[in-house]
Amino acid sequence: MTPTVDAPTPTDIVSQAPRSAGERALDHFLAAGFERTEPPILHPAAVFLDMSGEEVRRRLFLTADATGQELCLRPEYTIPVCRAYLASDKAGWVAEYSYLGPVFRARAGQGGEQTQTGLESFGRKDAEAADAEVFTLSLEAATAAGGGALAARVGDAGLFEAVLESLEIPTPWRRRLRRGVARGRGLDAIFNRPSQGALAQPGVLAALESADHAGAKALVEDLLAIAGIETVGGRSAGEIADRFLEQASLRSGEPIEAEKRAVLDAFLSISGDPDQAAVALRGLADSAKLDLGSALDAFEVRTGFIAARGARIEDIRFSAAFVRDFDYYTGFVFEAHDPEAPGARTALAGGRYDGLARRLGSARDVPAVGAAITLDRLANGGDR
Amino acid sequence: MGAHSDNGAEGPFVLAVPSKGRLQEAAAAFFARAGLELVQGRGVRDYRGAIAGVAGVEVAYVSSAEIVGQLAAGVAHFGVAGEDLVREKVPDVEARFELLSPLGFGHANIVVAAPRAWIDVRTMADLDDVASAYRARRGERMRVATKYVNLTRRFFAEHGVADYRIVESLGATEGAPASGSAELIVDITTTGATLAANALKPLDDGVILRSQATLIASLTAPWGPNTRSAARDILARIAASEEALESREVRARLPSPAHLAVEAAYERFGAVSATGEDVDPHGFLALHCARDKVAELAGWLLEKGAERVSVAALEQTFDARNALYEALEKRIRPDSV
Repeated sequence: MTPTVDAPTPTDIVSQAPRSAGERALDHFLAAGFERTEPPILHPAAVFLDMSGEEVRRRLFLTADATGQELCLRPEYTIPVCRAYLASDKAGWVAEYSYLGPVFRARAGQGGEQTQTGLESFGRKDAEAADAEVFTLSLEAATAAGGGALAARVGDAGLFEAVLESLEIPTPWRRRLRRGVARGRGLDAIFNRPSQGALAQPGVLAALESADHAGAKALVEDLLAIAGIETVGGRSAGEIADRFLEQASLRSGEPIEAEKRAVLDAFLSISGDPDQAAVALRGLADSAKLDLGSALDAFEVRTGFIAARGARIEDIRFSAAFVRDFDYYTGFVFEAHDPEAPGARTALAGGRYDGLARRLGSARDVPAVGAAITLDRLANGGDR
Repeated sequence: MGAHSDNGAEGPFVLAVPSKGRLQEAAAAFFARAGLELVQGRGVRDYRGAIAGVAGVEVAYVSSAEIVGQLAAGVAHFGVAGEDLVREKVPDVEARFELLSPLGFGHANIVVAAPRAWIDVRTMADLDDVASAYRARRGERMRVATKYVNLTRRFFAEHGVADYRIVESLGATEGAPASGSAELIVDITTTGATLAANALKPLDDGVILRSQATLIASLTAPWGPNTRSAARDILARIAASEEALESREVRARLPSPAHLAVEAAYERFGAVSATGEDVDPHGFLALHCARDKVAELAGWLLEKGAERVSVAALEQTFDARNALYEALEKRIRPDSV
């Protein structure tokens, strides 16, 4: 007998096969002109350890090649895509990539393999427009993959640098502030560091109070000679002298003036949607005579581009203290979580990383911005 | 675990001990003191042995690193290993092992050491400062040579030091700074002489671990009735000799019944009646007391009217309570019976 219902033909089945969450997100990137790329899975472990520090080691799946070189499975895509870009004939030119595939991170009680999708944009000179495009595309793609809207948080490492520069904060304190703020520490915790060994050497420091580099270096060399130490490993006598000078200059009184600290405090507590934040930043710049110049202009231009792409600015939360703990992030940074997902962990993260190419061996900086979505942190678990 | 207990053929209790060198001798001496004589097979090259007079125990002679691996895999029930290796090789020590008893040998510290020439660096806070300046200046992270990759990472993280790279070193770590392959080291040291000879100094707060050889039980090994019984027996003897080593027997006769004196001696000196609660009405008294409290206890007894106090060393003291085994039994999962 002839069946009363037409059986589906094989081609129908193919066209009806549902797209996975990752594919739905990837489609969004492809439609925007981000070419799909699949970099190698295996990389020298040193690349990731150099960029992110030894703390990532416990997350890496490590192995070694026949010569004993330490290799690892890629724990993320940004560095592998950037390496592939720098090795290609497009290096230094505009190139925009998307990806979808597995990343490998060791986590107690979890599988170790996660699927990520994302996009990376290299070489564009219109930085604020590229920032806005990558930011909005990644949020839209996450929604396409996961179904719900994500809650986004943004920050700007460029603004923070401009404030440190404008306040003429001494170099050692800039270093500590960058790192402390990136780790979410307050100013009290950053400035009230445990007393340091060198501070217990008041004699040396007093002798150096009015010394210059040459004088300090001579003193250090004398001290080493008196102690009978001949070999200086790793750091030169000059470097040791400079640190003593730094300590001597920081020894008296507060690490930085109270006024400057108050301005830093006011800056770091600015938050709200990007438009409100811009008003607060302009206000602070005027009242504290801060020259935030191009950094603040860039911030406002970027917000304009984000709005022009149809994102609701009032739904985005800016926080001046949101800085990422990787020093190759140089400007706009953002992350987002799915409020519906259990634990609401960061499902999307990205930012501008103009410093990465040089750190990976490029002769000069390459403007770059990108974002990654970890699919199983979306509310639908990436269709798990 | 199920397979062996289902068919009733429970495997032997496996005790893993170091296969060579001073550690082997020290471990053998430790067990011998507890009346547990390790009997190696036919020759020194035989890697299996037994304990004289204790049935169902197999002694496995393996390298120190392998002992930790066998305990982690549950192949050995008990093992003797340095705490340094245990903490380095096993991520969740507390969940997998019960550290039963420090053995009093193999003492060594794992320390962070920097070139002596770094006269501005004395603490981990200094190191943090110098490491981030080093990186800012050179664009590279300071290198730390070590074979204790995990211990180093954990310790540096606790002290907030982030700007460094580990260079794995499998021998002669202390030579790394001089040869230029690292700026500082994390290494094991007993006297510090090797560090000094290489123009290195430990940091004031840079002691990562004070390690010594330790008797360790694997919580993941198959624990059936026979292996439990072997563990109870071994631990009873170890506890008996450990306590005996630290105690003295103190005997005296007081002019009055002794039960009040026993209570007071417990409160003042931690001394206990040598045979339990039974107290002689005529004033005879035998107490076990910590070695370093003996003189005070004796003086006190003389004050109380004793004419003569005798003190004797103890060989072993068995107690109805087997605290070492009880601690272990609480942690062995009941389903592995």
